[in-house]
This record gives sequence, C-alpha cells and structure tokens, in this order.
Amino acid sequence: MGQLSRAVAIVDDDAAVRHALKFALESEGLNVRVHGRAPALLDDPELYRYGCLVIDYRMPDVDGLELVDALRRRGVSAPIIMITGRANAGMRERAGRAGIDTILEKPLSDSALSTAIHSALAAPPAAP
Amino acid sequence: MSDTLPIEVALQAAEARLRSILQTVPDAMIIIDERGRIESLSTTAERLFGYSMGEVAGKNIKMFMPTPHREQHDGYLKRYLQTGERHIIGIGRIVTGQRKDGTTFPMHLTIGELRSADKHYFTGFIRDLTDQQLTESRLKELQSEVTHMSRFTALGEMASTLAHEINQPLTAINNYLRGCNRLLERIDDPAAPMLRDAIGKAADQALRAGDIIRRLREFVARGDSERRIESLPKLIEDASTLALIGAKENGIAVAFRLDPAVDLVIADRIQIQQVLVNLIRNAVEVMAEVNGVRELDIETRAVSDETVQVSVADTGGGLSPEVARHLFQPFVTTKQKGMGLGLSICRTIVEAHGGKIWVDARPQGGTIFRFTLRAADHHEEETLVG
Ligand SMILES: Nc1ncnc2c1ncn2[C@@H]1O[C@H](COP(=O)(O)OP(=O)(O)OP(=O)(O)O)[C@@H](O)[C@H]1O
Ligand SMILES: [Mg+2]
Repeated sequence: MGQLSRAVAIVDDDAAVRHALKFALESEGLNVRVHGRAPALLDDPELYRYGCLVIDYRMPDVDGLELVDALRRRGVSAPIIMITGRANAGMRERAGRAGIDTILEKPLSDSALSTAIHSALAAPPAAP
Repeated sequence: MSDTLPIEVALQAAEARLRSILQTVPDAMIIIDERGRIESLSTTAERLFGYSMGEVAGKNIKMFMPTPHREQHDGYLKRYLQTGERHIIGIGRIVTGQRKDGTTFPMHLTIGELRSADKHYFTGFIRDLTDQQLTESRLKELQSEVTHMSRFTALGEMASTLAHEINQPLTAINNYLRGCNRLLERIDDPAAPMLRDAIGKAADQALRAGDIIRRLREFVARGDSERRIESLPKLIEDASTLALIGAKENGIAVAFRLDPAVDLVIADRIQIQQVLVNLIRNAVEVMAEVNGVRELDIETRAVSDETVQVSVADTGGGLSPEVARHLFQPFVTTKQKGMGLGLSICRTIVEAHGGKIWVDARPQGGTIFRFTLRAADHHEEETLVG
C-alpha cells in the first residue's frame, strides 16, 4: 500500500464543481486528485492506488456507468461513489447492477459525500 | 340436367357480380378460405400489395404480412376454427402489411366471416394507413395520448435540465463554503466565529435554492412512469402508424425487421411510444431534405436474454457536427420550428427504463439511432398470463 491508498480521485466535467469538491475535501485533510474527463482518469498513472473514486454520472463523452465498467474491466477495485444532478429509478437500477451502492444527489447538501468517502476508505480493500 | 341450369346461371351471375365488386370497391379486399389460401383480391388490394390476382391465387395469405405474424398466421386461423375465440374478426385492428417488394406499411384490418353449407371464408377489408387522414378514431386516441404526454414530458425535461444545470453551481457554492468553514475552525481570531456563522447561513441558502429546484422537478415528474409488460412489436406498430402520417407523400419507404425472438418488454407504453415517435419523426424530417433514396428501417434484435435493442435508421444527411457534439442535450436544434427537445426526452425516458440510447453513422450514409429495453423474462410472463 503506497501513501496514495487514502487518496481520492474525482471525475466531473464541471470545473467549478470539481474544484469546490477538492477544496472542501482537502480542508478535511483528504488527499484529492481531480479529472475533468473520463479518459484522463483511465490514463492516470496512480489509477490503481486510489482508496476511493468519485464519479459524476452525466459527462459529455461517456456516462459515469460506462466509466465504471471500463474501470472494473481494468481491474480497478476501489469503492466507487456516483454523484449526479438527477437520479432516477432506471439509473439506480443500472448502478445497482454495476455494483455501485452509493449514489449521491447534487447539490451534495450536508456532509454526505465526506461521510461516504470516509467509510469507503475505512472499508478493507476488496480483492482485485 | 335441365333443372340445374338455372342454378348454374345464377352462380355465374353471382360470380360476375363479385368480380365487378372486387374491381370497383375502393377498399382493398381479400377473400381467403379456412386454410388461409387466397380466393380473390380486389383491384385496390392488388395495387396495394403489388401482386396480381394471377400470382397469388391459391397461395397462403401469410405472404402479405411480415414476421412474426407470417409464421404464426396458420396457427391463428387454426386456433380460431377450434375455439371460436375472436381476436381480430369483427373487431378491427391496426396491423402491418408487407408488399411484394418486401417493404411494410401500417394498415387497418377488419375481418368478416362467411359461412356457406360446406365452405368457410374470411374477408379482409384493408385500409392503408400510411396516408390516412386523421379521422380514424383509434389513431386520434393514440395521438392525443402521445401528444398530451409529450407536452408534459417536454415540461418535465425543461424543469429537470434546469435543475441539473443549477445544481452544478449550487454544488460548487456549497462545497466552497463548507471548505471555508472548516479552514476557519483552525483560525484563532475574534471575528472567526461570526464569519463561520455567516458562511454557514450562506451555505444554507444555497441548499434552499436546491430544494426549490427539487420541488419543481418533483412537481413535473409526479405520476411518473407506469411500467408494465408490453408487446414491443405492438408498441412499434402503434408508434409508427402515428409518426408516419404523411410519410408516403414524401416518398419514404418504410421497412420493419422485427426479430421474432423479441416480443415482451418492460415499458411504460406511452413513454416508449414517445421515444419511437420522436426518432421516427426526426428520420422522416431529415429525409424530407434529401433527394434520392429515402428509406426508413425499423429493427428489433434480441441482444441477450435480458436486453432487446431497437433501431431506427434513415438515409438522410446525417448529423451536423455541431449537433453531434451536443447530442441528446436539450435545446439543440437545426430546425426552424424545432424545440430541440425530442432527443433529450428520448434519453431521459430510455435511461429511466434502465436502458441506453446512442447513435451510429450508417455506412451508406444516414443515421441510426439505437436504444435498449429490458425484455420481460419468462417468469414475469407467467405471472402475467397465469
Ligand atoms: N435522424 C437524424 N438525422 C440527422 N440529424 C438528426 C436526426 N435526428 C436528429 N437530428 C438532429 O438533432 C437535432 C435535435 O433533434 P431533436 O429531436 O432533439 O430536436 P428537434 O427535432 O430539432 O426538435 P423537436 O423538439 O421538435 O423534436 C435536430 O434538430 C437535427 O439537427
Ligand atoms: Mg425531433
């Protein structure tokens, strides 16, 4: 386990959202990397060392769940938290089938995101 | 011998009368026997299907319909003769016909039954719905359902786009403020507590704006979707009938290629009809702009036990690069009267059904829109039937 095992990666196409999330989470002492596009995460050299991934559902080139598929196919086993501006039943269903159980709706009011991240980081790492 | 003569004369006269009726009746009319063999065809029916009487006399009527009815028609007849249970006879339904050249078209079919001492005939009256006036009550009903819902859905789409867009800056505001508050916790200054209080209140206001948006969205989404087990071929039949009004004048040839393995799906009937109507209308609209080949292909395919794929392909000019970049996003349009909502509504509906929608370029030019739906599995089928 490298020092990055506690690091969190965030993918969101909205620049203000990802910077604000980074700022808020870093103020709690978390180690955060952000990406604006899915391919940037897939090319990230630290990809396999993050302790938790936060992914926006709606992005221009792929939807968040396709990114999740791509990650799982590459053997990335870190817990994934999906954030979205509009959750609906169909999306929850697809997310459930993709093995994601945490979906948070923007504007991420309370401390829901940081709570979810902390419990993801605390969980024992899944077997790859 | 001489006493049979008048009967024969009468018979010949009757036959001649029938022939002249068949030649002049404006409706397409087909008479078949109890085994489905074609006895006679009106002139309009010959023109409609592209066959001459000589070509099809004695052949099975199933050649006038596409898969899966083609394979099942003998069974339908047999079942009716055995059980007397009426599914179409005397009722009338919108079904799909297939022409000699393989293309298909929506039609209204009414069937009458004719029994004489030893023979049993069925007469089909057919109206081509491709260029049907809006007088058909069934069509009207369908149309009002789908257009009413479209208005509602369009409103919902706008509200939910608004919600999504506004939620982004609200998320940013809220998280910047939360970060500030946490940093202020570490600063030892008499003003810090006041600042923290004010920042907390500012964050609350951002959340309040989020709540207003959420309520608006819930208001338009109320009554949400009613998902049931539906027959996909039937949904396609109805939606295309609706969307193809006037298509024939534009010289568009419509072909249906429906996979016989695809039937029941889990869907909100009206919503999936909206998706199909939007895609078909877009295809018809784009083809009205091109000269040359105008073909609309509507296909279904079973991609797995759980998933079926529907595609709507056209031979139009393809997507403009500007549109392609923002495809499925609301308010993207190249049409003077377009709202640019059709495709974003399609995406919302398909995703709410747990499916996916995407676009492929057609190799020969044109565009193919595809989406997936969940097939109703056998277990669900049994619950429905049993
Ligand atoms: N089959 C197609 N071929 C080429 N371009 C298409 C096709 N379907 C859609 N488009 C393009 O995508 C744009 C958006 O389509 P969409 O259905 O969302 O809105 P619209 O048709 O313009 O308006 P409306 O709200 O009335 O449906 C269209 O204006 C058109 O430029
Ligand atoms: Mg449209």
